[in-house]
Amino acid sequence: MKARRRVLLVLRHAVLVAVCAAMLVPFYWVVKTSLTGENIYAYPPHLVPVGGNLFHYVDVWYFIPFPRYLLNSIAVSLLAVAGNLVLNAMAGYALTRNFAGRQAVILLLLSCMLIPFQATIIPAYLITARMGLLNSYLGLALPLLSTIVCIFVFKSSFEAVPRSLVDAARMDGLGDARILLRIMLPLSKAAVATNIILSFIWSWNAFLWPLIVTRTPEMQTLPLGLARFLSYMEDTTGALYAFVVMVLAPGLFVFFMAQKEFIRGLTSGAAKG
Amino acid sequence: MKFVPLLRSRFVVVLLVLGLLVAGWNVYVARHDHGLIGGTVVDAAGHPVSGATVVLYEQQFTNQVERARTTTDAEGRFRFSGNRSHRVELQASGPGGAMSARRIVKLWFRAQDWVLKEPLVVGGA
Repeated sequence: MKARRRVLLVLRHAVLVAVCAAMLVPFYWVVKTSLTGENIYAYPPHLVPVGGNLFHYVDVWYFIPFPRYLLNSIAVSLLAVAGNLVLNAMAGYALTRNFAGRQAVILLLLSCMLIPFQATIIPAYLITARMGLLNSYLGLALPLLSTIVCIFVFKSSFEAVPRSLVDAARMDGLGDARILLRIMLPLSKAAVATNIILSFIWSWNAFLWPLIVTRTPEMQTLPLGLARFLSYMEDTTGALYAFVVMVLAPGLFVFFMAQKEFIRGLTSGAAKG
Repeated sequence: MKFVPLLRSRFVVVLLVLGLLVAGWNVYVARHDHGLIGGTVVDAAGHPVSGATVVLYEQQFTNQVERARTTTDAEGRFRFSGNRSHRVELQASGPGGAMSARRIVKLWFRAQDWVLKEPLVVGGA
């Protein structure tokens, strides 16, 4: 019986390892090609890097204005993260309060999630243009300053805070803003981390919106730079893959730094009780 | 004492270490970015070639552009200064017109000081 259980355990782990490997192989291939520059059509392909070096990364850094793209992406992502934290926390807190039409607001927000961004991109562009924010960092971050998914992450996290705590704070004379700042947010670190990660990754990877909002190459972000790089460079497989790694790295870094809080934030409120 | 919990936070420690690495790298770059590239030119028998012309090509986006040329001294040594690129090519031609193969020099940063480990060979096979 014990031996059978052990065999099942080994089998289960073997399957898990195989699934993990299948998911990680594309990442491994990108990193390996960025080091070796091996042509993707080379046959037979080398499974392990042969003669790898980091010079493709140096090429990317200097052949295109990579530091400028990086700075733009960081600026836009920071704005998006800050906007998400402030606006989503306020919206999430409001949705935990009782007010007339609360259910209607929740329904409206949920139904808005069904509309793809591409369908609202023209009005979003016109509003941004009217505000004079085209080709600016704020204009690039504008549609990502608040996201409905993240509002609900905050809402479910705030609902998990004991009601008695909020009532006690109110008895002590704290207003809603200070309750949010002093009680709700410190008790919702997982939701804060989830908001940071999701808004960072979404703004970091955004392509379509920056493509139509930017007017000059100096305002382009990394995904646009990648497309530009593809159109400029020929036969530079290594540099292209190095660029991909350099675009991915900051997002992965943020995720790995806060993955514990991120997973807790996504699962909090998922189960009742 | 107030800062001890901060130093235990992975967010602070990792960012601090990254910051130190970047600062260290920048200090190293600042001390080694004079744009000096040197080396020697020898003939097929391995003897230094004096008076050989060495041309430095700079890699542009898709092509090579000649940036500088110099001649070797009595011991076959040459030296370029003021290189601003991170990827250059060197080619030598002896007094008799024999050429060397083009040598690609990949640098870790722009204007890195570099001395060729292997000499340029003119008139080789």
